Amino acid sequence: MSEAANATTAGAVRRPLAASIAALALAVALAAAAVSLAVVAARGPAPEPAMQARVRAIAATLRCPVCQDLSVADSPSPLARQMRGVIAADLAAGMSPQVIRDRFVAQYGEWILLVPPRRGIDLVAWILPIVLLAAGIAVAVGAVRRWTRAAGPSAAARASGADDPLTAADRRLLDRALASSSEEPE
Amino acid sequence: MGIGPRGWRHPSVMDPEGAARRRRGRWMLLGGVVATVGLLTALFAFGLDRDPTAIGSVLVGRPAPEFTLQTLDGSHTMSMASMRGQVVVVNFWSSWCAECRVEQPALSEAWSRFRDQGVVFVGIAFEDQIGPATRFASAYGLRWPLLADPGSRTAVAFGLSGVPETYVIGPDGTIAMAFKRAVTYADLSRAITRALPGSAA
Amino acid sequence: MDRLGTFALALSLALSAYGLVAAVVGARRDRPVLVQSARTTAYALFVLVLAANLVMIAAILANDFAIRYVAENSSRETPTFFKVLSLWSADEGSLLLWNLVLSGYLAAVAFRFRRRPPETLPWALAVMYGVQAFYLILVMGPTRPFATLAVAPPDGRGPLPLLQNHPLMAAHPPFLYLGFIGFTVPFAFAIASLIVGSSSDRWIRITRRFTLAAWIFLTVGLVLGALWSYGVLGWGGYWAWDPVENVALLPWLMATAFLHSVMLQERRGMLKVWNLAMIIGAFALTTFGTFLTRGSILSSVHTFAQSTVGPLYLGFLALVLLGGFGLLAVRSWRLSSEGRFDGVLSRETAFLANNLALLALTFTVLLGTIFPLAVQALTNRQVTVGGPYFVQTTAPVFLLLLFLMGVGPLLPWRRASGEQVRRRVAIPATAGAVTLAVLAILGVRDVSAVLAFGLAAFVIVANAGEIVRGVRAVGRGSRRSAIASVPEAVARNGRLYGGLVAHVGLAIAAIAITASSVFALQTEVTLPAGGSTSFAGYTLRYVGAVAERQPQRSVVIARVDVTHDGVSAGTLRPSLNFYPAASDPIGTPSIKVGALKDLYASVVVVDAGGRTATFRFFLNPGVLWLWVGGAIVALGGLLAMWPSRRRSLPAAPAPEARELVEVG
Repeated sequence: MSEAANATTAGAVRRPLAASIAALALAVALAAAAVSLAVVAARGPAPEPAMQARVRAIAATLRCPVCQDLSVADSPSPLARQMRGVIAADLAAGMSPQVIRDRFVAQYGEWILLVPPRRGIDLVAWILPIVLLAAGIAVAVGAVRRWTRAAGPSAAARASGADDPLTAADRRLLDRALASSSEEPE
Repeated sequence: MGIGPRGWRHPSVMDPEGAARRRRGRWMLLGGVVATVGLLTALFAFGLDRDPTAIGSVLVGRPAPEFTLQTLDGSHTMSMASMRGQVVVVNFWSSWCAECRVEQPALSEAWSRFRDQGVVFVGIAFEDQIGPATRFASAYGLRWPLLADPGSRTAVAFGLSGVPETYVIGPDGTIAMAFKRAVTYADLSRAITRALPGSAA
Repeated sequence: MDRLGTFALALSLALSAYGLVAAVVGARRDRPVLVQSARTTAYALFVLVLAANLVMIAAILANDFAIRYVAENSSRETPTFFKVLSLWSADEGSLLLWNLVLSGYLAAVAFRFRRRPPETLPWALAVMYGVQAFYLILVMGPTRPFATLAVAPPDGRGPLPLLQNHPLMAAHPPFLYLGFIGFTVPFAFAIASLIVGSSSDRWIRITRRFTLAAWIFLTVGLVLGALWSYGVLGWGGYWAWDPVENVALLPWLMATAFLHSVMLQERRGMLKVWNLAMIIGAFALTTFGTFLTRGSILSSVHTFAQSTVGPLYLGFLALVLLGGFGLLAVRSWRLSSEGRFDGVLSRETAFLANNLALLALTFTVLLGTIFPLAVQALTNRQVTVGGPYFVQTTAPVFLLLLFLMGVGPLLPWRRASGEQVRRRVAIPATAGAVTLAVLAILGVRDVSAVLAFGLAAFVIVANAGEIVRGVRAVGRGSRRSAIASVPEAVARNGRLYGGLVAHVGLAIAAIAITASSVFALQTEVTLPAGGSTSFAGYTLRYVGAVAERQPQRSVVIARVDVTHDGVSAGTLRPSLNFYPAASDPIGTPSIKVGALKDLYASVVVVDAGGRTATFRFFLNPGVLWLWVGGAIVALGGLLAMWPSRRRSLPAAPAPEARELVEVG
């Protein structure tokens, strides 16, 4: 019935060899995955991208003033095209990306930046999701602990004998499982 | 935000002396819901009041950007510096822009009224071609200098976010007023009057 | 014409008022006859709202420009196909369609529960009639679709150019509406269940198909919206994190969480309050979405009509939030959880994590969407929260979700032994690791992209493996081949296979999204006629432009010949469309779709006579698979809706099969 009971009975019958092969394969796979990620991370981004890519990198952080929803990099509007031209000219003149961005902010105001700055009240936009996710995780972990503790005795009882009779609670859950996903009759 | 503040409350608190606590908890929950919804509603009500497309210019009170541009016919150039000491009205427009047609009478009227009082009007064509722009100018009888802005550098320097836009620049070279929409005669003449040195308003 | 339409709407409003009152009184005084009449009223309501819609379509087709809506949104030259679409190309008309869909759902509920109605039915009907009344009031007062002009103009203005530029406009909004409005049904039954004070999960079971249908519609609507953005707007992308897009995504995220968490309630009797909160939240988010787009709170696609319905919508939204969550707060103590956790390593934990991740996404997207508003309200300063913010904040959570999609189906319900998990995870994990290693060897430089591909491979192998395992077990039980037992397996547990298929679809979409956002190339060039440029291995030659006069617009088509390695690879024909009503031309991109990559061209400017033209060329890898993945997700949803024959289980199922039933 329960997966756990199944596992203990079936697991004992199966050859332990298969289990250890699976464990080994999993360990190798995880190690390979970690190494691959480390290799990619160590390689880092491409050095010195082409001019159009540099323009794009700056333009992607600016909001197109005409269309308001797309970045200067993405927008097909004429003004955005001209702004890309201005960025390219400034880069060619040796201005740094930060100087170019600051100049756009001076001309248009802070809203030209597509990402709110990470300071002052705007920091809230960055911190709040993390705080709430952390709180959610804490609540969920607490709930799981409580629910698992509530289940403690019966779980222990089940582990002691493979074919122990169903408790009333188990019976209820089983009925529920069998009934679930079948729609109510019309 | 869509979730009640304590939506995850595990409800198996069925202990005997819990009735009073439960009632208290219920009121607290309800209070939380009401407060959250109230806050959100206030925020959105504020949002309803505001025009999301209205973007203020950060340049008001700051020195106007420098520019040196050729007239549409290429006959001569004009620069911001050469107009220092006068009130300058810079109008960004385009032959393809519908709102620009709407505001032309207002501009012309203001031009006739102020041109003898040391006020210079300048039209800067935005994203336009010489042919259509010149035809537009003659159709609407624009009699002030019209400049071409290749590469829109001047437009970007003014923080342009569309056409039409009109800037009123004081004699000291600072931007006194920015209209990020079609102007009306009343608004424009009020802004010009304020920028004129005579009125210390 | 206009009187007929207004009359139908007025009568509909009266009927919804009657339905609301009859359902409430019938429930409170226990008068089955009244409830019965409230139920059957739904059919009449549907017919009337349908009539109002048909009147509008007839008026549009007949060029009845005395009706303001027709004059403003159609014209003699508009092709018939787009004339019909004018029904939903502006605020008033789209509210008519909204009412039609809502009354359709109401009639479907009335039909579905015509026999043996659940005790929650009267209250659910009352809630739905209430919502319907609100939307009917919107078209009776603040917006009046059948308002007339004193003098009928000789011709109309035609629909907004952007909306008549592509046939996809025919499908995208209706699907979105079907999805948005569909959540009214589970919401209504959830509220009804709270009012009745029932602690059973019957409301979930009887609305399961409605919820799934709404979810499928919303999924398809979102994908079609992305397709429209990609194929029409010409910026080379499909998702801009525009407020309007965000508010369409929000209910989807929450509903997806709900589809998972209800299983914990159905199987384990847990999370009762949570599930109610989720569906109330999902419905509130759909209301919020329409409020935001129609109330023009935040700047978005400019072309959307300003409208006066904002304050009313806000009131309705506040009512939904207060009523829904308030009721839940008052009633939540009644809903005790019967369930418990048997082990931390279990499907239950995966579902909890899934809910947490989806909720975190919902919250982050919502926060980013309304953050500029909040900042302006507090400090009167304008800030923008755009694409890069959403990408940076949501990408890690999306990766976590991808991981959970792979692990979840491998974990059994209740509890698992470590050995069992290791055995099931080994092969999918190997697939993921091999993918990672290959990408590392190939020299890819983006860690998050590599991680996304590896996880997607893990998800696909894990879910496909479970499908194969399940189908084989069924085949063994009935002594049939694996292929032949697919229908049997689906019929037995469509929900399991639907979920697995949807996961595969999502993983494919994740690959497409990662590939196209990380590895896309683009360039912008101005070419003289006859000139060419090389881009990403292609040689693109601008041949010239031709102008074409169509009834409702004039089109300038630029022709670009494509060669790849000296071999001709077809022609791209991006165009600019000039509409009389629009100042700016609207571009139509031209796309050479490929299994691995799309070559995408849009023309920005063509100067007089076509002597030179400025183009943007994009090379977008894998975009095709986004549409394929979306279709597979929708297919998964359909499988999950499949009528289940679970109750006629064979007397003695094979051990394997029994295990799978547990897993489902």
